[in-house]
Amino acid sequence: MTTESVGSEFSRALKKRLESSKRSFYFLTRSPLATIGLAIVIFYVILAIIGPRLAGGNPSVMTAYPIYHGQPIIFNPIPPFEYAKFPLGTTIGGYSIYEGVLKGARVDLELASIIVFSGALIGTVLGSIAGYKGGALGEAIMRGTDIFLSLPYIVLAVAFLTVFGRYESVMIESLILIWWPTYTRIVRGQVLSVREQKYVEASVAAGSSSLRTVIKHIIPNSIYPIFVQISLDFGNVILTLASLFYLGFTFAGPGFAEWGNLLSRATSAGTGGAALESYPWAVTIPGLVILIFVLALNLFGDGLRDVLDPRMRR
Amino acid sequence: MKLYVYIIRRVLLLIPVIIGVTLITFYLSHLNIGLLVTEYEGKIHTYAQRVIVMKELHLNGPVWAQYLYYLGALFTGKWGFVSPGDIDPGVPVFTEFLKRFPPTAELALLATLLILVMGLPLGVLSAVRKDRATDHATRLGAMAAVSIPSFWLGLLVLNFMLAPTVSFLPHWLVLYGNGQLNWSVYGYWHGKIAPFVSPTGGLSQPTGFLLIDTLVYGDFPAFFNALWYVFWPSLVVALTTFGVIIRFMRSSMLENLGQDYVRTARSKGVPEQFVIKKHARRNALGSSTTVMGLIFASLLSGVVVTEIVFSRPGMGTWLYQAAYNNDMVSVMATTFVFTVVIVAANLIVDIMYSYLDPRVRLE
Repeated sequence: MTTESVGSEFSRALKKRLESSKRSFYFLTRSPLATIGLAIVIFYVILAIIGPRLAGGNPSVMTAYPIYHGQPIIFNPIPPFEYAKFPLGTTIGGYSIYEGVLKGARVDLELASIIVFSGALIGTVLGSIAGYKGGALGEAIMRGTDIFLSLPYIVLAVAFLTVFGRYESVMIESLILIWWPTYTRIVRGQVLSVREQKYVEASVAAGSSSLRTVIKHIIPNSIYPIFVQISLDFGNVILTLASLFYLGFTFAGPGFAEWGNLLSRATSAGTGGAALESYPWAVTIPGLVILIFVLALNLFGDGLRDVLDPRMRR
Repeated sequence: MKLYVYIIRRVLLLIPVIIGVTLITFYLSHLNIGLLVTEYEGKIHTYAQRVIVMKELHLNGPVWAQYLYYLGALFTGKWGFVSPGDIDPGVPVFTEFLKRFPPTAELALLATLLILVMGLPLGVLSAVRKDRATDHATRLGAMAAVSIPSFWLGLLVLNFMLAPTVSFLPHWLVLYGNGQLNWSVYGYWHGKIAPFVSPTGGLSQPTGFLLIDTLVYGDFPAFFNALWYVFWPSLVVALTTFGVIIRFMRSSMLENLGQDYVRTARSKGVPEQFVIKKHARRNALGSSTTVMGLIFASLLSGVVVTEIVFSRPGMGTWLYQAAYNNDMVSVMATTFVFTVVIVAANLIVDIMYSYLDPRVRLE
């Protein structure tokens, strides 16, 4: 059997799943909260695609305007709706919040998708191995998930950034290291239950190789829980990224367009306590941007879970 | 299986986890040992001195021998010294850990308590009123709370509840000082008398836990001050983590409410109140405790962030300062401690669950 036939087998199985998911989508749209969540997520994705183009300049770095109309605005942020150039106002350092939000959408979504999808891929592969092969290797993989599930993620990321240096790759790798074990557990559980089914037994009896069995029967059967987990993890990864950037564990300069970094501009430079009093917009707007996106992801993920769990549908 | 057999088996299963975790911290420390040796408190100037230091730190042997020395030192409390660049330079890391641990433990324990107190009743309520306004409001509220960045919520709470200048609260409620133990000084704040704890503490702390120490000294204003300063951060941590337990309690309740024994109880004419409280809730509570173990890692991450935002003198702030000052020894110590706490919490939760629901032990 060639890899090509495995690939087409996989795509055919997946296609069948996607066709049957039309019914699931109907149930999803009946839940108003999940629909709103999906709409907001799509809006943010569009923002991430066209945002940096709307804002202009370097797509991941905000432009600093130390002086505007002859006034120094580094420590005197402009409120929202005052100038057309700064629709959402500016923050400490003379950065436009509008620009930061637009560019941050792409930066955050990019970083989070790399982390979540790599984690899901690694977790799925290891989970299928652990469930299907079992034995000493499977046991070792499951003990590995135990170890990585008992590491507090922010602490591990900070430790990695301190030891290996402040680099983008270090941050991404340390977060992938945290986010794979859940998928391994999900996939392994699915494998263990699907493996006992009669149709899998039949396909094995008909001479199906283990790779083919995994790709044709096991992954399509566990694809929904993986989708749900991805949609829920995405929000958590965004929150963790924002926390790390807010606390200053960054790999980039002060103008890096990340939502947590944008928020930290307002409260850094020893102005923490006074920030909410003297320029509340610089604190509230980036926070709300993060909150709305993560909430939308959670609403969508929760709706998806309800739809895909037939016990809850009734 | 008897309970103690189960506990022993569960503890034995922890050994690979502990070895794995220490291997990770050992690997991370090992990467930096060269740096440590070259900078060894400015003691190394010649090759001969370097040889002596290498021998002192057991760096000449093979890696596995170094790992064994590392484990030995780890479990006997020889955790090295705080680096020169950091706060409290030269202090043994273990001493620093003993000083930093109680504030974090207070925060985490109170947050756990708040999660249980808020989450479990809300989950029950949500299940009982399934698909009605209360259910939707509870679930949406819980989800919104979980979606809030914890540092942002911390910032808002800090500014509106704890900072004296912009608080909504009457200012006699907003106490000054970050809950350090001292004799209470009643000072003036905004022209009115407020209980006041001086940040330059002078008394020795018997346990290190401020909430206990203040009671030991019978200093009630300081106790309430300490409680006030631990309540708000723990509320932030609890709000940003308790969504999972609401969701779990709800589905667990729904599952139990659909069981035959509940129908039997209802058909016998047992009042609905008792059906929910005595029949369904009791069964749902057992399985919901397991979630505490699952969310403990995210709870501690929240604790770290919240501590930094609120400048509480605990483990999280220590990690933050150490990472800023490139103090690898302290960073590794905090990583190790947090991991051990999570592992221990999982163990406790499992044992509690097997006590509450003996069926688990049959597997």
